[in-house]
Amino acid sequence: MRTGKINRLIAHFSLPGFLSQPSVAASLLKAAPILTPKLGQAESGSSGSQFPKTTALFGAGASGFLGCATIAYASDEAEHGLDCPSYPWPHISILSSYDHSSIRRGHQVYQQVCASCHSMSLISYRDLVGVAYAEEETKAMAAEIEVVDGPSDEGKMFTRPGKVSDRLPQPYTNEQAARFANGGAYPPDLSLITKARHNGQNYVFALLTGYHDYPAGVTIRDELHYNPYFPGGAIVMPKMLNDGAVEYEDGTPATEAQMGKDVVTFLSWAAEPEMEERKLMGLKWIFVLSLVLLQAGYYRRMRWSVLISRKLVLDVVN
Amino acid sequence: MLFADSIIFACLAELKKHLGSFNNCHLLMHARADEEPVDPKRELEDRCKAPCTRPLKEYQACSKRIQGDESGHKHCTGQYFDYWRCVDNCVATKLFTHLK
Repeated sequence: MRTGKINRLIAHFSLPGFLSQPSVAASLLKAAPILTPKLGQAESGSSGSQFPKTTALFGAGASGFLGCATIAYASDEAEHGLDCPSYPWPHISILSSYDHSSIRRGHQVYQQVCASCHSMSLISYRDLVGVAYAEEETKAMAAEIEVVDGPSDEGKMFTRPGKVSDRLPQPYTNEQAARFANGGAYPPDLSLITKARHNGQNYVFALLTGYHDYPAGVTIRDELHYNPYFPGGAIVMPKMLNDGAVEYEDGTPATEAQMGKDVVTFLSWAAEPEMEERKLMGLKWIFVLSLVLLQAGYYRRMRWSVLISRKLVLDVVN
Repeated sequence: MLFADSIIFACLAELKKHLGSFNNCHLLMHARADEEPVDPKRELEDRCKAPCTRPLKEYQACSKRIQGDESGHKHCTGQYFDYWRCVDNCVATKLFTHLK
């Protein structure tokens, strides 16, 4: 029981930033004078002062991890953000493909809602052909944008309508311009975002649809918005997905959750376009290698059968 | 009449989707074509308040406790997170059946 108190005291010291909590500091000051006489008492029953010290050192190592669990700092919770639930994405299971109509709707959401701030500089228009759009549609979509192209024969840069081979357009010329336009925060490039965040698909969906009211006692600067899933809670991006923000071509009702699902499916595809091919390859090669395993097992046992079945007779010499 | 038609159609669509496992046709979820679409996530969050009354009560008790606080250090993030964790897990299992 006393070692438990010592462990907790050491856990207090081992956690960074503990002194910033005034309540913790106050409790430490109260606990410290009580603990020192108890240390003296523990000596009487064991060998010198070694026993509580060694257990204290052992406790320091063990409770470095446990400290975070036994003492739940609310600041840690907000720092990591609320953990997002796992949604049953239709493309998650081991033999599922993407919902391509969802990718198409998601691209529409990206284009109309997100592209004003977020770039997707690793995706070209031609990547969409055969996935979300037909070739003519993609050509028409690309032709709507203006692209700055390399020096002409006269040595001047010129603008031309986009081609299918061009990348998706960037809203800002560089990161500094993006930061300046968004209060110092850089809207990240979304080409790989579902792979670039832990539990990316669920996280992005939870973030986009999770703009809830402030918890009691939390205040945030006027320029920022509260989102519990965002680490720290204060995010620059306002709630972008509102019911009816987009009118889907196929007539699906554009609710917040629907748009969130579609845009996350699109972003998942953008980050992992090879997913369907990868799963097919995985299925094929797991099957082939299972057969190879059977063959290898048979061959090993055949070769070892000579040694396994030999008999050694130990005879006593008279 | 149009309303009834859309509900019947929605019920049949659900039947086909769930192959016999339909228990309710989510009458609340399918609005008329001329009405604003109702967000299924928000509706589910309201319905999931029922199984999450305990964390909700804890949060409300906490916000009451810190009401008079002037120092600005007190907050109810922990209870808030517990409540939303409960609601999220309840919503997540059901939400995608309401989405296309």
